[in-house]
Amino acid sequence: MKKHSNYRVDIIPGIVIALFAVAYLALVPGIQSFTGMGSTPLTNHFVPYLWGGALLVLGLYVAVRGFRKRAAFIKAGEKIEKFDLKAAVNEKLEVIASFVALTIYVALMNVVGFVPMTIIYLVAQILILTPKHDWKKTYVPALIVAVVCSVLFYYIFRYHLNVLLPQGILSAFGF
Amino acid sequence: MKKVLAMTMAAAMVFGLTACGGSSTAETTAAAEGAETTAAAEGTETEAAAEAGDFTFDKTVNFYITHGAGGDTDYMARMLAQALEAKLGVSVVCSNVTGSNGATCMQQYKDGDTDGYTYILTNTAALNGNEATGMVDFGYDAFEPVAVYGIQSGENLVVAADAPYNNLQELIDATKANPGQIKMGISTGGGVYIEACVLTNLGGAEFNIIDAGDAASRLTALLGGEVDVTSLPYSTAADYIENGQMKSLCTMLSKAPTLLPDQEAASATIPELKIDTEYACLAPKGTDAAAVKAMNEAILEVTSTDDWKTKCNEYSFQDPFVLNLDDTIANLKEQRELFQSFQEFL
Amino acid sequence: MILEGIQAVLQPMTILLIAIGTAVGIIFGSIPGLTATMAIVMFLPVTYSMAASQGISMLVALYIGGISGGLISAILLNIPGTPSSVATCFDGKPMADKGQAGKALGTGVVFSFFGTLIGIAILVVLTPVLCDFALKFQAYEYCALAIFSLSMVIALTGHDMPKGLISAVIGALLATVGLAPIDSKPRFTFGMFQLNNGFALLVLLIGLFAISEVMKYAEDVRKEIKYTVNEDAKIKGAGFSLKEGIAQIPNGIVSALIGVAIGILPGIGGGVSCMISYTVSKNTSKHPELYGTGIMDGVVASEAANNGTIGGAMIPLLALGIPGDAVTAMLLGGLQVHNVAPGPLIYVKNGAVVYAIFCAMVVSAIFMMIFMLLGMRAFVSVLKVPKNYLLPVVIVLCGIGAIGNANMVFDTYCMVAFGLMSYLLIKSKVPTVPMILGFILGPTFEENLRRVSQLASSDKFFNHPIFMVLIAATVLVVIFSVRSNIREAKKAELAAEDAEKSV
Repeated sequence: MKKHSNYRVDIIPGIVIALFAVAYLALVPGIQSFTGMGSTPLTNHFVPYLWGGALLVLGLYVAVRGFRKRAAFIKAGEKIEKFDLKAAVNEKLEVIASFVALTIYVALMNVVGFVPMTIIYLVAQILILTPKHDWKKTYVPALIVAVVCSVLFYYIFRYHLNVLLPQGILSAFGF
Repeated sequence: MKKVLAMTMAAAMVFGLTACGGSSTAETTAAAEGAETTAAAEGTETEAAAEAGDFTFDKTVNFYITHGAGGDTDYMARMLAQALEAKLGVSVVCSNVTGSNGATCMQQYKDGDTDGYTYILTNTAALNGNEATGMVDFGYDAFEPVAVYGIQSGENLVVAADAPYNNLQELIDATKANPGQIKMGISTGGGVYIEACVLTNLGGAEFNIIDAGDAASRLTALLGGEVDVTSLPYSTAADYIENGQMKSLCTMLSKAPTLLPDQEAASATIPELKIDTEYACLAPKGTDAAAVKAMNEAILEVTSTDDWKTKCNEYSFQDPFVLNLDDTIANLKEQRELFQSFQEFL
Repeated sequence: MILEGIQAVLQPMTILLIAIGTAVGIIFGSIPGLTATMAIVMFLPVTYSMAASQGISMLVALYIGGISGGLISAILLNIPGTPSSVATCFDGKPMADKGQAGKALGTGVVFSFFGTLIGIAILVVLTPVLCDFALKFQAYEYCALAIFSLSMVIALTGHDMPKGLISAVIGALLATVGLAPIDSKPRFTFGMFQLNNGFALLVLLIGLFAISEVMKYAEDVRKEIKYTVNEDAKIKGAGFSLKEGIAQIPNGIVSALIGVAIGILPGIGGGVSCMISYTVSKNTSKHPELYGTGIMDGVVASEAANNGTIGGAMIPLLALGIPGDAVTAMLLGGLQVHNVAPGPLIYVKNGAVVYAIFCAMVVSAIFMMIFMLLGMRAFVSVLKVPKNYLLPVVIVLCGIGAIGNANMVFDTYCMVAFGLMSYLLIKSKVPTVPMILGFILGPTFEENLRRVSQLASSDKFFNHPIFMVLIAATVLVVIFSVRSNIREAKKAELAAEDAEKSV
């Protein structure tokens, strides 16, 4: 009965999505709606209720489906594997590191500036995506790519295409 | 290693190509940008000399435009920037920061750099309208007004060409005869909405008010017969009027533009019904008064040329229109009061 | 007048501008994060100082280049370069994985050209008739059209329908953030004015495709999978045989027509047209089960449709002065600046400019095909660039695109948040593609539904035949899709059980 073993990707997402829908729905009554002249009979609450309600139903459906699969799974006498957080984190280490790098990158970009943050981020992300034993021969090319790309992009987009990339601390040095 | 090198070079080539195309986009130089922090420090010093009005622009001026490329606010701001570059001898870089009818940009830059190199280019309908409808909680006085430097050719109340009414009064009478039967297309919260409110509350009209969205969808709705009357920018309606598909009942401007003289003004029927959308240049609150004055004078100068007049005339029938510092503030104040007086209906 | 227009374009300077515009458009389109819209935003002010026919020719070239360029990264990286090439990934990437990157690119390019030409042909010949059609679409019709298009989601959901629907609903729900349609009251903004604009489609797209692609790669870093570069040893011509090409022509025509039809209706756009045409192509095909495994049909359906949309979108723009999307709104601005007012009198007053536009579109389409076919070998070599270097650079470019969208750094925060959301959803086996349809169509649906609620008292629905036809079509689509979905799911289940038994 292998087909029921995927209950986990139903239960947790189903519950999370249902909770998210509840939180979303809870915010709807607080929305100011316009009731003056020429206002529409359906206010700006209606469609959020519709989507929120639909999401809640779907989330619950998926969660219940997951629980039923789990029951069938247990009934079939299969052993329930315990969820090992440590192993899971370890398995997804690069993914977690990538998200952390990305978050730090965008969070500090405004203050520190586009060029320095991009250099740091590129080096970090390139290394994250490289197997550890290859790191030694990656440092130099990674740094070259990072510096060239960030300076080049900054120059092109800020000065020729008018994208307001943050200057950050660089403004003190006259860039 | 070789691969990396090749890739970097490929990237450089690709972007070199973009740069070639791009360099013509904006002939801006980075040269003056660096002086920014030092100049900001000097800003406080120059405040003492504010009254003297001896401010010289010596680095890149930044124009933040509240509406997107392709619109009239953007075009007028860029025309002004181009003229100012020649006058001031420094680059004037335009950036569009768009969204929420200009509110995003105004919110972001109202407390921006006060060194006299940051300006916000917008229109008065957005500036006063967003405050009146409650989208933002600040008005023109959250900025240092620099100049009003142009005026739109205005919106007109338009109906199908075969409609039985020929002026605003006849239309209002028609709605009274058939209350709720004549459908007026509006965009909720916008200028047209204010028109509808004034028509209803002060003009006694009894329309069936229907939301029909922005100017383009109001045009669609009128052409498709979903609404009977709506308000459109003259430039949008012009060819339809000429082609005999629509007719204009009146202009919302307080005074018809010189290029389109024979129009009845709505204010002739309802005195409060006048919407003059002007283009305005603002600086962040606290900007060096000398810089504001110098910028205003530069704008006055570049907009008084024949070249500027031709450009305005060619761009959807506009008249050149520019105000000095005191008149700008007085004008914005008057408009704000008018908009605020509508607030009870909004 | 026709000759005058053609002459205005066939000058060395104008041709050069068209070539530059097409090339820059392709580059912007092909780089994830940068779009055709952005290219036009950046070049519009430059065209203010050009002659009318030159300026508008360049803008049109950027548009055609930008929409076409999107297929490159969709096929090679599985990241759509523009919203219009989302559906190109579905079969383009599997083809590239099978070692047919050249063939996929060639198919995409040739049928982009094909779709563009059909769009132009309809634009030139049928504009007056189609204007009346476009004007018939009012609140009722748009409301029904949004429902009809949303019903296509079911066909796109894959085996697990509830999860596909969840994805679409999340998309629609994300689109409710920001100022509400019609009354502009803020919803779900938590007082942040940056959220008033709502989320940008581009930013969502980056989160869904680019970031999740990086994470997919990150998962396998330690697995030491040797990514063998599958690439056709030699690419001959367009990468596919004449016979294969001819076999695709009916599919290409239908897809291009769907693209044109969606282009004519303001406010829907290329992102939807490629997905709808892909779905239609799949459901009318003799071998629907092969879609998504890497066949030419899928690439043809997507690319012919999104390029057909260009010609379609020009119809209401030129003949009515009604722009359908961000790009055509800017083209309208570009025309007005040159004192050319699109509308009923454009042929009378500025006929030469109109013919110049038609001519520029044809020239640009030809350039597009030449550039892209010539560049194909170079594009394919992107596959040789080590992914651990390429993907981070792509992410940086996406960040720039997100900032450039409205010149706000705030949008990069949304980009990362969407990336995280998309990763978690993919891990939960929720497909992300339906989200895009929900995101685009949700607001159209809401706005028009609310208008309908206003109209309903004076204007009953039975006066709207198109509305009723669309609703009936929706019911049929739902019934058929659900049935085939259940059948497919059962088949998959049986197959899984069989596989198990045999083990």
